[in-house]
This record gives sequence, C-alpha cells and structure tokens, in this order.
Amino acid sequence: MIEVLVPGPLTSVQDAFGRPAWRHMGVPVGGAADAWSARLANRLVGNADDDALLEITLSGFAVRFDMTASAAITGGMTASAGGVPLAANAAFSVRTGSTVRVDRGWGVRGYLAIAGGIAVGPVLGSRATDLRSGFGGHHGRALKAGDRLEIGASTAMPTRWTGSRWDGPIRIVPGPHAPGVSLDGEWTVGPEADRTGVRLDGRRLAELGEVPSMGLPLGAIQVPPDGRPIVMLADRPVTGGYPVPACVIGADIGRVAQLRPGDRVTFVSVSVEPAREALRQAEEELAALEPLEAPRDDELGWVGSHE
Amino acid sequence: MIRPFGESALLVELGSPGRAQALAANIRNDTIPGVVAVVPGLESLLVELDARGMEADLVARVLQERLEQTAEAAPVGRQRRIPVTYGGEHGPDLVDVAELCGLSEDEVIERHAGSELRVLFLGFAPGFAYLGELPEELRVPRLATPRTHTPAGSVAIADSMSGIYPADLPGGWRVIGRTSVVLFDPRLDPPAHLAPGDTVRFEPIRE
Repeated sequence: MIEVLVPGPLTSVQDAFGRPAWRHMGVPVGGAADAWSARLANRLVGNADDDALLEITLSGFAVRFDMTASAAITGGMTASAGGVPLAANAAFSVRTGSTVRVDRGWGVRGYLAIAGGIAVGPVLGSRATDLRSGFGGHHGRALKAGDRLEIGASTAMPTRWTGSRWDGPIRIVPGPHAPGVSLDGEWTVGPEADRTGVRLDGRRLAELGEVPSMGLPLGAIQVPPDGRPIVMLADRPVTGGYPVPACVIGADIGRVAQLRPGDRVTFVSVSVEPAREALRQAEEELAALEPLEAPRDDELGWVGSHE
Repeated sequence: MIRPFGESALLVELGSPGRAQALAANIRNDTIPGVVAVVPGLESLLVELDARGMEADLVARVLQERLEQTAEAAPVGRQRRIPVTYGGEHGPDLVDVAELCGLSEDEVIERHAGSELRVLFLGFAPGFAYLGELPEELRVPRLATPRTHTPAGSVAIADSMSGIYPADLPGGWRVIGRTSVVLFDPRLDPPAHLAPGDTVRFEPIRE
C-alpha cells in the first residue's frame, strides 16, 4: 500500500497504452502522455509495459510507502527521499515508512512505477484514468491527499537503464491535408498545454478551413482557423475537423508531452522511412537495461529514513 | 482515396458515413495483418498500422480491394427514442436558435422532434453520437465562444447535426433541451447507448 501525502497539481493512475480499441464509441485513447517513459519506468522495476503507474505533473508530489518496494522515476521530473536525490532511470529500493518526493525536472511529466504495479481494476481494458469522463484508474479521478493505493506482488529483479533518447529537433512527417504548408522551424509552446494537446505560438499559419471530422492519430498537428497549430496527445478527442498538414512521429511524441508553456521547440520534416526507423530505434533503446542487485536490509542503499 | 496520415496510419476517404462504417465493419470482421485499429469519422476511416511491422503500401493495396467490395451499406440499427425537456434552464440557447432560424420556439421544438435522425459516427467524447441531418431551416452556427461547462444530457445542435452531451463537458454547440437518458456507462456492454446506424427521434416532455 502507498499513501498520497501531497498530490501536486495533477497526479493520476495511468498505463502506457490506454484504450485504443474503444474509439468507435467515442472513448479517447488516453493513457500515459509520454508512453515511452512510462514503459521504461515499468521495465526498470520488472513490470509489464502496460502495468499501472503514476503520472505526476510539474511539481510537488509526495507519497509514503507502507511496504518495502522497488520503484523507479522516469520522464521529466526528479525524485528524492529524505532530502537525498534518487537517480532517474534506475530502480531504487524503498523501505516501509519512507516518503518519496517527486519535483521539478527537465520536463513537465514524471512516471513513478512501483514493482507489482498499482492494483486497480481495468475499465474497458485499461487501468488508465479518463480524467474528463471520470472512469478508470483510482475512482476515475486525479489523486488527492490521503488516497491509499494497493500495489501488486512482484519478485522481479530491478534494473538500470543504459540507453539513450533522441534529443534533437522534433521530427514531423506529412499529414493528409495542406501539402504546401510547412511547420518546420522554431515554435513557442503556448499557455494551453495539457494531456489533450500542446498549442504552439510564435507564428501563425494561414487559415486552412475545416475538413469533415475524421479519426485523429497520436501526434496529429491540427490547424484551427486561428492558425495556431495544436499537437494532439493522449487525451485528444477521437475525431477532429481541422486540417492536419503534419504529424509528430511516434518516436518523438513523448518528448512533446514533456513541453511546458514558454518552452521553445523546433520541428524538422523527415520522410516516412526514417520515421519508422526512429521508432524501431526508440524500441531498442527502451530495452537497454542492466541488472541491479537489490540491497539487503542491513546495507546502505535503501532510500529514505523512517519519518 | 487513401492518404498517408503520419508514418503509422492511413486515412481512407469514402465520401459518406455509410461507407466509412461499412469498411470499418469489414475490417473488424476480417482483420488485415499489420492493421492495429480502425476509427470511423464522418466520411473517412483512420487505419492505424503497426509501424514496426508490415509495409503501409501492402496494407493500402489490401484496403483498395476491400474498398471495391464495400458497398454503400449504411448499418442497420435500432430505433431510439430520447425524451427531452426543451427550453428554459434546460435549453438556454433555444431563444437564440429560434431567432437565428426566424422561427418561434415551439416551431424549433416541432422541427427538431419531428426529424428522424441517424447516428453517423461517435466521437468528441465517450458516447457522443453525431446525429444527422437536421432540416435546412434548423441549421445554426456553433457558439462564438464555447461554454466551459455543458451539463450531461444537454441536447444541442450545430450546423447540420444534433448531439447529446453524455457528461459535463466543454462545448460549442447550441443547447436547446435536456434528457435524462444515460448515453455512456463504462460498466455496461456496450458502454454507449447509441451506435452508428441507429435512428433517433426526440420526444418533447410537456411539463
């Protein structure tokens, strides 16, 4: 069991894949906004890719462990226990009674996985929280102080990540509309940036009109009549009626989900084959793990003191 | 028309809701290797591919064959009746809609409830069905400034379509009434009350 002490601005139970098979009923895919980081966190503690974990946003989250567990933090935030920073992208062990804090880092979303996964029942095939419609995850809502979450059993060996993640410009490929419109170059992230999408400022595209509502894949860049593009993320609506001149490639969409208002971001066009190669590469990097030995109880290496 | 939609999806443009739904049903019944999901839109089908696996060109060829086999087969659905309390606090935009259409409020209600509408596709939110088409005289633009909060059960119209908000949601359609019918419940099978091909008739509740 873990207990949320400080929930931060938005913490929710998510999984890596959401509900892709229910879109014909209007159900958004949802799931972790930076799914790649969520999968990495799970792998570090020996969980399955789709086990439930916490998606923590921006700053100021604290949780107390009421059991001994292996855990890991990935994505754009940092973790500490008892004032001591915890290495990102590597499993750490937590003693009963310890508090883990998650705070600001290079990006806006952090993923805290705990060996065994968060034991919530699946709804429509997923443990992810649909925050807008209010189902799935922990009672269909963001976590509050005092929430207690069951953790599943695990005997898996903890690991450390030795791979790398592309940190160059965000790569885009053509969408189905407006072939002459280029989104290449630098943009500024606008104030509207959430799990649904990230709005871009800095320059305005010409008005492209509307198209008949169509299914929107992850990473589709919609251009509404005001000419400010929106990159669609996990909680995007199933369909949309604005033209899509380009899409962020699958390998880079998780990094878009880490952007915060005011950040600069550069797009560069690539063709479809390098985009697929980049995705294969990202999958390989995810598998670059080496075993860590779990410390015995009498050794140093446990994080956090009893508080 | 089949267009690439990013590196791991294709957009098949079919020109009508019936054909889009028919091709979706065809692929669900007889899956295509390399296709991981299909999502019908108004007149199109989004086909998502396993980008690590099969080549998109090969899938596009199979889709082309399926397209040729897929007739204008509007799915045959159920008849659904939706009781609605029109106007007042339940339909805050009824007055404006009447004015925009040059009709009385009662005439708007009469025409809305008098139309047999079909579920064209679901999107926007869980259980939200796009119902069409409204008669020409009821066509109004969306609100210039969308509401941040539209209550669950709100019956609304915009352009050629009507819809019912399944939950409290932001929305830009004009709300003319409210129903107590539950449009989406994830515990039910199926979770959505309306499905493509269903016909919907709104029934005014007189208070």
